[in-house]
Amino acid sequence: MPGIPITAPVDKTKRPGVIFVLEKACLEVGKVGKNFQILNSDDHANYLKKQNRNPADYRPDIIHQALLAIFDSPLAKAGRLQAVYVKTEKGVLFEIKPYVRIPRTFKRFCGLMSQLLQKLSITAVGKREKLLNVIKNPVTRHLPVNSRKIGLSYSSEKLVNLCNYVAAASDDATLVFVVGAMAHGVIDKEYIDDFVSISEYPLSAACCLNRICSAFEQKWRIT
Amino acid sequence: MAKTAARSVPSKKEKKKKGKGAKRLPSGPAAAAMKAAKPRPTLNPFETIWSRRKFDVVGKRRKGEERRIGLSRSVAIEKRKKTLLKEYEQSAKSSVFLDKRIGEKDDTLQEFDKTVLRLQRERQLKLKRTSKYNLSDDEEDDTTVDQPHSSDKDDFEDEVPLDEDEYADFKNGSGLASSKHLSLQSLQNSSESSLLDGEDQTHKSKKQVMMEIISKSKFYKAQKVKEKEEDESLMAKLDEDFSTLAQTEALRALSHPSKMNALKALLNKDIKRESLKEGLSGLSDNKLIEKGLPDAYDKLVKELGSDRRAHASDRTKTPEEIAQEEKEHLEELEKQRQERMLATDDFTDEGSDDDTVEIQNSASIKIRPTSGDDLGDSFLIADDVAGKKGWIDGIYEQNDADNQDESGSSSQDSEGDEDNEGNGDGNDGSGDEHVNISTMKDWEQSDDDDDGLNMDSEETDNLDEKEVAIGDKLSLDLHEVKTSSSHEMNAAGNLAPAKEKELPYVIEAPKNLPELCSLLDSRSDDEVVEIINRIRAYNSIRLAAENRKKMQIFYGVLLQYFAVLATQSPLNFKIINSLVKPLVEMSAETPYFAAICARQRLIHIRTRFLEDIKNPGRSCWPTLKTLLLLRLWSLVFPCSDFRHVVMTPALLLMCQYLMRCPINSGQDAARGSFLCSLVFSVCKQSQKFCPEAIIYLQTLLTSSIELKLGLQQHSQLNHLMEIRVVKPWLHITDQACAIRPLDFFAVMEMQEESPFFASDTFRASVLSSVSETLKGFIIIYEGFSSFAEIFSPISNLLHDVLQNPNLPGLLRDKMQDVLDLIRKTTDEHHMFRKPLQMRKQKPVPIKLLNPKFEENFVKGRDYDPDRERSEMKKLKKLLKSEKKGAIRELRKDSQFVSGLKETARLMQEEERAEKYGKAMAFLQEQESAFKSGQLGKGRKRRR
Repeated sequence: MPGIPITAPVDKTKRPGVIFVLEKACLEVGKVGKNFQILNSDDHANYLKKQNRNPADYRPDIIHQALLAIFDSPLAKAGRLQAVYVKTEKGVLFEIKPYVRIPRTFKRFCGLMSQLLQKLSITAVGKREKLLNVIKNPVTRHLPVNSRKIGLSYSSEKLVNLCNYVAAASDDATLVFVVGAMAHGVIDKEYIDDFVSISEYPLSAACCLNRICSAFEQKWRIT
Repeated sequence: MAKTAARSVPSKKEKKKKGKGAKRLPSGPAAAAMKAAKPRPTLNPFETIWSRRKFDVVGKRRKGEERRIGLSRSVAIEKRKKTLLKEYEQSAKSSVFLDKRIGEKDDTLQEFDKTVLRLQRERQLKLKRTSKYNLSDDEEDDTTVDQPHSSDKDDFEDEVPLDEDEYADFKNGSGLASSKHLSLQSLQNSSESSLLDGEDQTHKSKKQVMMEIISKSKFYKAQKVKEKEEDESLMAKLDEDFSTLAQTEALRALSHPSKMNALKALLNKDIKRESLKEGLSGLSDNKLIEKGLPDAYDKLVKELGSDRRAHASDRTKTPEEIAQEEKEHLEELEKQRQERMLATDDFTDEGSDDDTVEIQNSASIKIRPTSGDDLGDSFLIADDVAGKKGWIDGIYEQNDADNQDESGSSSQDSEGDEDNEGNGDGNDGSGDEHVNISTMKDWEQSDDDDDGLNMDSEETDNLDEKEVAIGDKLSLDLHEVKTSSSHEMNAAGNLAPAKEKELPYVIEAPKNLPELCSLLDSRSDDEVVEIINRIRAYNSIRLAAENRKKMQIFYGVLLQYFAVLATQSPLNFKIINSLVKPLVEMSAETPYFAAICARQRLIHIRTRFLEDIKNPGRSCWPTLKTLLLLRLWSLVFPCSDFRHVVMTPALLLMCQYLMRCPINSGQDAARGSFLCSLVFSVCKQSQKFCPEAIIYLQTLLTSSIELKLGLQQHSQLNHLMEIRVVKPWLHITDQACAIRPLDFFAVMEMQEESPFFASDTFRASVLSSVSETLKGFIIIYEGFSSFAEIFSPISNLLHDVLQNPNLPGLLRDKMQDVLDLIRKTTDEHHMFRKPLQMRKQKPVPIKLLNPKFEENFVKGRDYDPDRERSEMKKLKKLLKSEKKGAIRELRKDSQFVSGLKETARLMQEEERAEKYGKAMAFLQEQESAFKSGQLGKGRKRRR
């Protein structure tokens, strides 16, 4: 006999969720030797130097960490994540379904990403459902109508307390957080409604996302 | 069809070009590139369009990277013009001009090579038999140009002079006849000649080849013989070296003397052989000796190798063997003793002197028979004596210091302190393998606890004081033994001095109690231990199978003796103590028998107890014997077992005593508290919960409160107290009372109506021991979740007890300590308790899906595990692309053809229109001329 639920179950479709957009992710496929690999600054430093690129720009670990931060949070486990969109520096936009298990190790993650960027979609094991899928730009065409896009940047003048900010936001409009997954630079503000900074310090993408997730967890009482 | 035509284009195209002018052109794609590079007169603007990449991939070089789409298109059109157009044009024709010249279709050949090929063919035709006798026309021969380079000249061009061949033949023939030296030379010659000939090499006659082979084989044979000779000479030299070496001292010293003969024989043989060698220079003889030689030599070498081998050491002895040795040793000693007993009196002194030494020896030897099965706490007697001396000295010091607090003046006391706090430690130590002495101390200590369990640390001192009387004597004796002056010993010591009383070394195990008593009577305590040890060593179970039975009987007897000792009125505590060790060891040897003994006794005790309790007049509390036996079993058997054949009933019995026996006197209270501490020591390790003990302690505490107070306030206890007439047994009325450690044995020996039990000192002592035990229980039950419920009544009780103003300070402190401990632990438990929850359901996380991907993904590779299917897929893909390509080609061809047709039609139409125009013009002119009456024309014509 299952336990007696204390509160009536909420309709899952009506529960508000959150959307994340990760901009400028450093995911670039290069042909190293015979295979195609996601270029990173550790393994391919010499190769990139030979190709006249700056190895410091190739940081796929940032997006890996950021994705892990999102998908490991209780927020995601509770099913309150609506979607995650990633746009690479090259302009390839892909969608990640909220119930994907992101590979824990960096190497496997790179394998996944390189296959995604070559095949343009990744299916689930034993299913035909597409878990990761390259989609058309711009990202705004995939966002819900009444969404509020919030861009995060250290450079922004508007410093907010994220918990209060999130708590103050109404549940009618879906919140879309746009976070940069790059080492340097700023995300573009074309489609962003609100441009805020959440700390006086420059934060890593993963840390930012952690904070956002925990703010939502506080708001929606997910423990 | 059209496609194949398109494919075969390049050859045709080039053929045509070559056919026209004998100009060389690069073939294949190079041609296309050249064409592209060729400056065109009219630049097609569409040709400037290049293909571009959609995604730039670092490090990827695409095959069609530099493709110019426009250019390739125009190239394709050109190609069609050259092939399809031609075919189209020819389609209407009935005859074709075909070029079938040799090499004309092969693009790789150059113009010159082509001519050469043609010439060859011509010659071949000429050489045919049919045309053999045709006369050649000189003109044609002349045409063959003398080419400077002849890299790929054909064979027929090599002109082999016949006479040279013959010469070689002749030469080889002569070589055959001559010696091998000559043949060698000839071989060299031939090689040289072959080198010289060069071209000749390729065309050797069969004979020549055979000759060469023969000469070669001969050469190798000669070489082999030469090598063999060299080897032989080397071996001879080695032998010589060895013989010289063997004659030197070095080898002789190294080798075993027994081997020397062999070596010498070998040497002799060598020499003989040498002489033989000199004598018989024949090869066969030499060989014979060689055959014989390696055998002897090998033998020698082998012997030398096996010379210095390690010998096996004595194997380690088995416990049985050790025991056997032990027994033999004892027997020998006994024999010596018997002899000495029979010896004349003259040597008495010396003999006794020897004896003492021997006693010591035997004592020191006795320790040795330890095996792996031993408990590990056998001890040196000498060490033991020393230890005891230190212990007693410590007590002396204590006495000198006027019973002050023990500040660790001797390590022994401090240890005792520890043991009193948790007397289980001593028990543990007894079971574990400690070093000899320390274990012994533990033993002592645990035994001290045995009797003084309900006394605090100072109490042991008291006890020790009591024991000093015995210990003093003992220590003196042993001292003297140590100084090993037998005269003095004889004079002063009351230890068995004379030869008659000397301990026998070989003692049979006594079969019953009287036998043992007769054996042990009038022996000092140490001697008793010694006797038991000797019995055990002599009748060791490991020696013989029947010894097991003997030892079992002996064990039963010893146990009986132990029980008897406990009932004696002047209690010889010392000997009881010393009996514990052999008893424990022996029960480890015969565990089943020990368990059976204990169970039988337990059953007996219990039946007695049940009878007693029916009779209200008699005290049903256990006797001292029972208590001691219980204590012994708690040492012998493991207390921590969940269920044990002896310990479980023993514990139940103890609890039953505590529950059912009414407290009628102070003595009962003391007994009960001793039992409590016994229960505590049993429960300590396993943390079993014994409510009886705690309730008993509670009862004792209640009895220390004034009656009216206590019974009213703790009414919930009343139903427990009903059976026990609670009087304020332990109510302290006088403040000025000293807490002195109780001597349990003394208490047990006293009469029930002794005034001592009414004294405040006794009460305070009992109370302090109660609080000690209580503290122990609190500590072991700390982890119980029901701790607060178990101990909260006690804390209330303690609170009430502390209300008594007459409580001595030390006791008050102790009780306050216990109270604080209870409160603290209870608080902790309350803090960690959680309220009851509804059945909690953890939220279920959403189901995650694993993405399917490969570690090293290569685009285009099929990752289908079904090979056949993937193969099929690949083929289908190929077919599709081919099909598409073919369709595309066909479409383009048809477009091209239709374009041609269109242009042809247009041209025709134009032509027709022109003709039509001309005709019309003519007609119009005619008409106009006609209309104008020939005026215009005529005028024009005229012009």
